Amino acid sequence: MAEKPQPVRVLYCAVCSLPAEYCEFGPDLEKCKPWLIQNTPDLYPDLAEELNSREADKVGEQLQSTGISSPASSAPKAEEVKHLPGGKIKKKDKKEVVIEKVVRNKRKCITTVKGLELFGVKLSDASKKLGKKFATGASVVKGPTEKEQIDVQGDISYDIVEFITDTWPDVPETAIFFIEDGKKVPAV
Amino acid sequence: MFKKFSAEEVSAQNQVKASVQRKIRQSIADEYPGLEPVLDDLLPKKSPLIVAKCQNHLNLVLVNNVPLFFNIRDGPYMPTLRLLHQYPNIMKKLQVDRGAIKFVLSGANIMCPGLTSPGGSLDEEVGAETPVAIMAEGKQHALAIGFTKMSAKDIKAINKGIGVDNMHYLNDGLWKMERLE
Repeated sequence: MAEKPQPVRVLYCAVCSLPAEYCEFGPDLEKCKPWLIQNTPDLYPDLAEELNSREADKVGEQLQSTGISSPASSAPKAEEVKHLPGGKIKKKDKKEVVIEKVVRNKRKCITTVKGLELFGVKLSDASKKLGKKFATGASVVKGPTEKEQIDVQGDISYDIVEFITDTWPDVPETAIFFIEDGKKVPAV
Repeated sequence: MFKKFSAEEVSAQNQVKASVQRKIRQSIADEYPGLEPVLDDLLPKKSPLIVAKCQNHLNLVLVNNVPLFFNIRDGPYMPTLRLLHQYPNIMKKLQVDRGAIKFVLSGANIMCPGLTSPGGSLDEEVGAETPVAIMAEGKQHALAIGFTKMSAKDIKAINKGIGVDNMHYLNDGLWKMERLE
């Protein structure tokens, strides 16, 4: 083995995230095709040919029917195809507030509130307000992976929804979730 | 195993103690000697190592929120496929024939005939109960990570039934989880 083996850079398909050579076994080869043809023409030679012949047919048809010059008509087509598969894979980070009740000591528990910062709420202010409203301790705690959350002593999971929506109108009720038995349950 | 796997199955993630971190490093280094030169880059001593505990006694080793290794109970640490793709030579390799790819990618365990047929190949030295990389006929990169049920010799001799348990394969839950927040 060499001194320091360089990491191999593997080409991953932007559509299905598999290495390009496995696209044919992926969930949807049809969607990957445009990307494959653009990025790895040598891996699937049949695909390119198939597309070329199809495109040629199309262009030919168009030429016959409308008489538009071929490069102008084929260019926007290709772009359209590219857009569709790309838009679907990337999920947007959802803005949501997650409320979880953690039982600490048989009948004592802590309610943690995650994700308030996504709505532009200052966490330190929020924890102060929560503590005041419920007359308990509330603190901003750093989660294990750099994420901040608010811990409130006591079980306030039922009143907290109303409180959040009242105090910060930016937070819609539909964006609030409970975690019950490890499952996410919408608050409404 | 990771067929249905999402961030919701992570029950707790903790930054581990330095001593535990050392132990994990050590066992990974023992398991994958080929990884040793780059281990410092992968698991920097300074940056915090996070272990995520999941259901079914599963642990994930995370650095900078990226899952790098996983193990079950106290079993051996296995790299994730993304990591294996970067350093393909760290594990022993078994190759399956083309017909098996489809099944492996939907989570099936690897049956002996798929390994012994003309398209497959076996590393004779592989013993039972070791993590292996599953390669495929005509493909460059690994498509799964398995845990052998019997030794390579037995696979050849018996040639029936499950030879390798499929732990982690392309496009399963762990593969889709590029980062864990």
